[in-house]
Amino acid sequence: MSIPVTDSTMKAHAERQVKATSAWQRIRRDKWLYILLIPGSLYFLVFKYIPMWGVLIAFQNFEPWQGFFHSPWIGFTNFRLFFENPDFFRLLRNTLLLSLYNIVFFFPAPIVLALLLNEVRKAWFKRTVQTMVYLPHFVSMVIVAALTYVFLTTDTGFINQLLQHWFGRQVDFLTNPAWFRPIIVLQTIWKETGWGTILFLAALAGVDVELYEAAIVDGANRWQQLWHITLPAIRSTIVILLILRMGSVLDNGFEQVYLMTNALNRDVADVFDTYVYFVGITQGSFSYSTAVGLFKAVVGAFLIWTSNYVAKKFGQSGIF
Amino acid sequence: MHLRSRLSAMVRMMGMNGSPTGKKRRLLAVTSTMVPAIALMLVSNGPSVAAKDGQPFHITIMTDAFNIDHGAPDNPVIQALEKYTNTQITIEWVPNTNYEDKVNATLASGDLPQVMLILNKDGSFINAAKSGAFWDLTPYLKNYPNLSQANPTILQNISVDGRVYGIYRSRPLGRNAIIYRKDWLKNLHLPVPKTIDDFYKMLYDFTYKDPDKNGKNDTYGMVVTSYTGPWDIIQTWFGVPNGWGFDKTGKLIPAQLTPEYMNALNFFHKLYVQHLVNKDFAVMPPDQWNTPFINGQAGVIVDAADRANQIVKANPKLADKIGILGAVRGPEGLRTLGTSGYAGFYVIPRKSVPTLSDLQKVLAFLDKLNDKYAQNLLWNGIEGRQYKLVKGYVQPINTNNVTIHNEVNDLNQLLMGIPTNRYYTTEPTPTSKLVNQVMAQNAKIVVPNPAAGLYSQTYAQQGTQLDNILNDARIKYIVGQIDANGWKNAISLWRKSGGDQYIKEINEDYQWVKKHGHLKYLALK
Repeated sequence: MSIPVTDSTMKAHAERQVKATSAWQRIRRDKWLYILLIPGSLYFLVFKYIPMWGVLIAFQNFEPWQGFFHSPWIGFTNFRLFFENPDFFRLLRNTLLLSLYNIVFFFPAPIVLALLLNEVRKAWFKRTVQTMVYLPHFVSMVIVAALTYVFLTTDTGFINQLLQHWFGRQVDFLTNPAWFRPIIVLQTIWKETGWGTILFLAALAGVDVELYEAAIVDGANRWQQLWHITLPAIRSTIVILLILRMGSVLDNGFEQVYLMTNALNRDVADVFDTYVYFVGITQGSFSYSTAVGLFKAVVGAFLIWTSNYVAKKFGQSGIF
Repeated sequence: MHLRSRLSAMVRMMGMNGSPTGKKRRLLAVTSTMVPAIALMLVSNGPSVAAKDGQPFHITIMTDAFNIDHGAPDNPVIQALEKYTNTQITIEWVPNTNYEDKVNATLASGDLPQVMLILNKDGSFINAAKSGAFWDLTPYLKNYPNLSQANPTILQNISVDGRVYGIYRSRPLGRNAIIYRKDWLKNLHLPVPKTIDDFYKMLYDFTYKDPDKNGKNDTYGMVVTSYTGPWDIIQTWFGVPNGWGFDKTGKLIPAQLTPEYMNALNFFHKLYVQHLVNKDFAVMPPDQWNTPFINGQAGVIVDAADRANQIVKANPKLADKIGILGAVRGPEGLRTLGTSGYAGFYVIPRKSVPTLSDLQKVLAFLDKLNDKYAQNLLWNGIEGRQYKLVKGYVQPINTNNVTIHNEVNDLNQLLMGIPTNRYYTTEPTPTSKLVNQVMAQNAKIVVPNPAAGLYSQTYAQQGTQLDNILNDARIKYIVGQIDANGWKNAISLWRKSGGDQYIKEINEDYQWVKKHGHLKYLALK
């Protein structure tokens, strides 16, 4: 991004220089704040930034028994192998489709729920509902998968028993590839919608009540209040969350997909996350799977940057 | 006490505990794909443990653990073992769940124990072995009274390029069997199945002829899960080789390419469409395998014979209603799929055991662990402390004393059972007696995998994907998602994705091993 030099940028530049000279003074003045910063910074340094050097094994033929320093360097071979792999486009398609389903069907769900909760006037009812909808978030994915199995299996599954009873036929939810993505999205909606409302509710709590009062005086009905006051109030939150979500378009969450994969739906279920597991962990191809992981990370960073740029173009604040 | 062991459990999970000797430990809890790299970077170039001379010989062992507390490092059982083998033993217990991560980290660190358990013959072990990280034990085994009697089939299974790099922990080779409801068979006036056709008739009648005589159509033949083992066992009866077989020209080909495989596949498809197996088997978690059998819904399980012990334990009423059968006769006679015959093997790194005389000491130690006295220590503990003998059978004592009880925790992980398990056992139940009988008989009709000791670079790199192509296609064929054409397409996809290369490399390695005369231990052909 190049920014045209204008009066205002020049001015800002000058101001920054003035500030820079007094930087040391400011540090001394706020020394306690900086000391408080140390543990957090150390955490990121030790557990995030130093391990990042590990991605270098993507360019090696890493052998654990030879260690990092003795494994041979092979340049971009792993990346070439990955892009040439006939599985690549299948993985990309599955990954993107699953993300698309999630963005289209899951992403709006917490917004809708938050708006609904916001309209509830009885505080005790609102609080009870909130607590109830948060709960699934704390249920382990393994349990969710087991519940899904118990409900949907054709042998003993509760829902299939009902279908058999009512319509005389069963649906092979778990083995038919066509059902894979809907079930994944439904699981996510069930598990995370309530939890996702937290940020939106927090944003909604900050809306000035006077705005609503003024709107009512002007004769706005409930829908008009929602459209003209509530939604604009949480628009920036929505945009920021959407930008962050774009960054993880290539992440589908390993656990969930892995648990729901079986021999009959693998064609649609294989995504980058599970691929990295199968290749990297079960086959010990650490370098190759690191290359795949690095590819994912680069695409994710690019998408975040792009969507941030687009959001700013449309007059939103963005995340950086 | 309780809190302490909990804490040490947590620390162990995090992989940063002090070992019993308080030796400096390394970071090992690795989950993501990038973290291991850095973990390995950090631990590289550690000091190597030099083997010490003098008496008694000091030996360090790294092995897997299922328990957290192993008693004091110098507890009486270990002391007895040290006295018997004239060594000083340090055992590094690693939780079984992340054992393989730990192996990789240890290999990278260079700080190696003298004896290290390898759980699976995976790519990273094979590469390390081929590059000379471990002693090639092939020429030395014959010098030791117990180790010289090791089973050739199992040695082949653990070998790399025809060389043996470890001492295996033996498991029964003829473990696979048919567990069935004897009483249902009697109700239906059927004889014990002898052939595949009899087996099919049993499944059919178990499904449609009301074997439990309750007047309801509530039973089916065989319960199968997403675990594909039973299909592998049954197809062996049809004459399908174990993993790899020889074609007419003497070339090794994978089981899936043999004509017998197709016969077996059609048989499985027939079982499925006739509802003789559970409909949703492809998604059924293997941990629920026993449930339909225990509940009296399913009449047959094809798996390890000792599963019968679990079933009877869960439902003692079934004790006299269970029959176990080794195999049924197919076109090539009586055959049973051999298991790998081992649960991991102990290797000896060259770095920590630099000289031949040290190697001999380590091997002598491992050999001695197979003596009856040592086996009893490892399995039962000390007589009069952990157990007493009644009519030649073990009766555990002091079971409420946690300290005494913990002293033998996981020591059985050091048990190799070569040539056999010689320790005293608790008095066998009728079921476990039957299980042992069937396994002993099965050992004579085991079909080994001729390619078990051969290496393919392609398979090491892409094995999971290659296996998935064929395994998935097999399940799809069984449930009717694809037909014979679809199966052919899967085969050609497999060939293109590296299968052809895999076949080529296995055959090249076979020729190489044959040429270099490394077949001495191998049960090839």
